[in-house]
Amino acid sequence: MKTIRTLLFAAIAACAGLAAFIYSGSYPVGADVRHTAFTHWALETLRDRSIDRAAASIEVPALDDPELLLMGGPDYNDMCTGCHLKPGLEESDLSVGLYPAPPDLTEKAADPRRQFWVIKHGIKASGMPAWGPTHDDQRIWAMVAFLQKLPDLNAQQYQILTARDDDDAGDHH
Amino acid sequence: MKSLTAPILLAALFTATATQAHDPSLHKNKGEKPKCEAMENMDHSKMDPNDPVMQAMMKKCMDQLHEESDSAGHHGDSHQPEK
Repeated sequence: MKTIRTLLFAAIAACAGLAAFIYSGSYPVGADVRHTAFTHWALETLRDRSIDRAAASIEVPALDDPELLLMGGPDYNDMCTGCHLKPGLEESDLSVGLYPAPPDLTEKAADPRRQFWVIKHGIKASGMPAWGPTHDDQRIWAMVAFLQKLPDLNAQQYQILTARDDDDAGDHH
Repeated sequence: MKSLTAPILLAALFTATATQAHDPSLHKNKGEKPKCEAMENMDHSKMDPNDPVMQAMMKKCMDQLHEESDSAGHHGDSHQPEK
């Protein structure tokens, strides 16, 4: 009985301490101050596990269609390069200033399921918006198709695939 | 009543802007034309015709070539040189 009372007291004290910490305003929330190692690990793990779980059941369509590249390329160039860069652009104000730092998508292609889910739903408190409310699945898959090829593109190939000329309003269908 | 005019107009403007925010046509004319002349300098022997990237580039540049030939007076119904 004494042990239970002690544990209960410890739990209440921990909750009170946590509440006091939250209300104290002492945790630095500026993007130019890094998280502690523990907070960083906890948030990264929480994010990755959540995305893995949510994206596991997504079925990936065929992504090797040139039309998808031509649809997704201009969208990527318009909406994503400010944070996620492009061939020939190694950093930007946003890629340097955001924390957590947005991934450089020209380096390595991630799992297409994860890419689709993140583009559609965004990530809380990271600067990554949810594009799902304003972009249909086909348009998001086109961006994923482009992202799968992006690490292998040179600057010239990138320019041709992402150029949005006068007759190209972003919808090829 | 008069005092409500400004808020109503602002709300209507905001609504109209929000519904157009992601209209693909808003991107029209925002970008630049594909620089297809770069393809001429590429090593064609190393190009894989089955590569989706290559196919997409060819399609993009073919479209541009058609546009240029159309604007130069060569219409799709005739490939004969002008006399």
